[in-house]
Amino acid sequence: MTDTAIAASALGKQFGRRGGWALRDCTFRLPAGRVCAVVGPNGAGKSTLLALAAGLLGATEGELTVLGTTPAEARIRVGYVAQDKPLYPQLTVAETLQMGADLNPERWDAAAAEGIVAAGDLNPKSKVRSLSGGQRTRVALALALGKRPELLLLDEPMADLDPLARHELMGTLMVQAAQHGTTIAMSSHVVAELEDSCDHLLLIGGGRVRLAGEIDDLLAAHTRVSTTADADLAPHTVVESRTTGRQLSALVRPSGPLPDDWRTGSPSLEELVLAHLRNPEAPALTPAEAAV
Amino acid sequence: MSATMLTGLPRTVLRLHRSALLAWTVFVAGMSGWLVWLTEVTAKNPEPQGLLCFDACGQPYVLLDFATEMQWACTLIGYCFVGIAAFAGGALTGRELESGTAQLAWTQGVSPVRWLAAKLALPAVALTVGGTVLVLVFRWASTAHRTQDWTTSATMFTDRGPLVVAYALCALAVGTLTGLLLRRALASLGAAAAVMLLLYTVLTSFRVHLWPTVTRTGPHAFDLPDNVWLVSEGSNAHGRFATYHPASHYWPLHLTETAIVLTVAALAVLASFRVLRHRLESRV
Repeated sequence: MTDTAIAASALGKQFGRRGGWALRDCTFRLPAGRVCAVVGPNGAGKSTLLALAAGLLGATEGELTVLGTTPAEARIRVGYVAQDKPLYPQLTVAETLQMGADLNPERWDAAAAEGIVAAGDLNPKSKVRSLSGGQRTRVALALALGKRPELLLLDEPMADLDPLARHELMGTLMVQAAQHGTTIAMSSHVVAELEDSCDHLLLIGGGRVRLAGEIDDLLAAHTRVSTTADADLAPHTVVESRTTGRQLSALVRPSGPLPDDWRTGSPSLEELVLAHLRNPEAPALTPAEAAV
Repeated sequence: MSATMLTGLPRTVLRLHRSALLAWTVFVAGMSGWLVWLTEVTAKNPEPQGLLCFDACGQPYVLLDFATEMQWACTLIGYCFVGIAAFAGGALTGRELESGTAQLAWTQGVSPVRWLAAKLALPAVALTVGGTVLVLVFRWASTAHRTQDWTTSATMFTDRGPLVVAYALCALAVGTLTGLLLRRALASLGAAAAVMLLLYTVLTSFRVHLWPTVTRTGPHAFDLPDNVWLVSEGSNAHGRFATYHPASHYWPLHLTETAIVLTVAALAVLASFRVLRHRLESRV
């Protein structure tokens, strides 16, 4: 066992020799046992990063280590659910789980997989092609969890689910993470969806890592301030500032004590994420890099 | 069903493609049954219903209708590789890559290389067994009554030996390769069928050159025995000549073409594994 689930250094992925870079210069480290939110706008490179970690793509540059080895060698210990939840439409639910057992000899946990399917009130004899989007997600998650992965990569896992099923399946994932120490990395462009369950954040924008680290550390490193418009924010790192009349409100990374006459507050995770996405020129903060 | 006796990856591959396996079984059984019927019932029927039999109604095997149906069976067996190419390019690989189910399989506990090996090996077994049955039944049916010969019919040439199986295996390999390259079910279905038809057309037109011909000169050059494949005849400064393949050239010609088709199949298999590896490890 290694204490690092995913480690990337200067990771980049280009599609086609002259195509654009989906991911560039990404350096971060995801410690084992964390539940990590991979957040970013559509097209930011989240899916590319997860596919690289699942060993389905090769990196153009840089290094990527998964569970202490190459993504291809780690594949047997990694669960992956792609964004569109591909499943074989001609199989029944029961046959799909049987496939999981057949393709994961010695690792398959039939009880866990069947439990997730049963909780969704699914008829095991239903063909996959007749399932709704949410039911497909449930079967895809059952298939991924049935192999008892050490690392679970979920690309937009909850997009098709109603709030009730989302809550229930998120609970199932958290139990899995707690009981088996599974590291989970799940992407979303809806921050609120992940805020309650995740303890680690990877914010990707424009193919680059903007924020990486424990959510508590990241929140603690930022302060929301409001002061008069003529105040000088230096030497603090300014993520975002806005002037309304005589009022200046900003999100800063304090590099020392803030003046007493500034009104300060803690940002929410959503504020933090949005401020970084709105201001692509704001410097990245990836405290976890130091540990690589 | 045989799938219950298997486990692991083979069982999954069989389960995924059971309708294709069923279709192939029905084709082999249906064609065999039809050939048996044509030989045992239609050809031996002493009282053909309203068919013209000229002066030979007492002799079986000369009914025109029978020869036509025999030729149909011959054509269906000879061109079955087109359907196999379409299956391999469409359902076996192209659809999997298009819908992302291939990635689903690769992120289970089997490596992509083993996945591809199983996808090639199991259909190859089914095609070899079924193709062999078809060839044996067809040989039995066609020797029972020689209405057409390999010298006059291209599919008769194919159907009388292992070339049928070679084309089937080649179609499987070429279809797999186009599916991996194009990653689209419909596009690779069409491309695989087109490539195989092209290969078949090219090889059929060059078939005559696959083994050296026999040349006969002199005044009796045109008096060739029956059952020869006449390539050319005419007169030049030295007199009359005729070049042809005697009946004994059937197996050399047939086996040479079989070897060429199997070589193409092997190259396509090799290329498929390279494309798969490239897809997963490519840096761009």
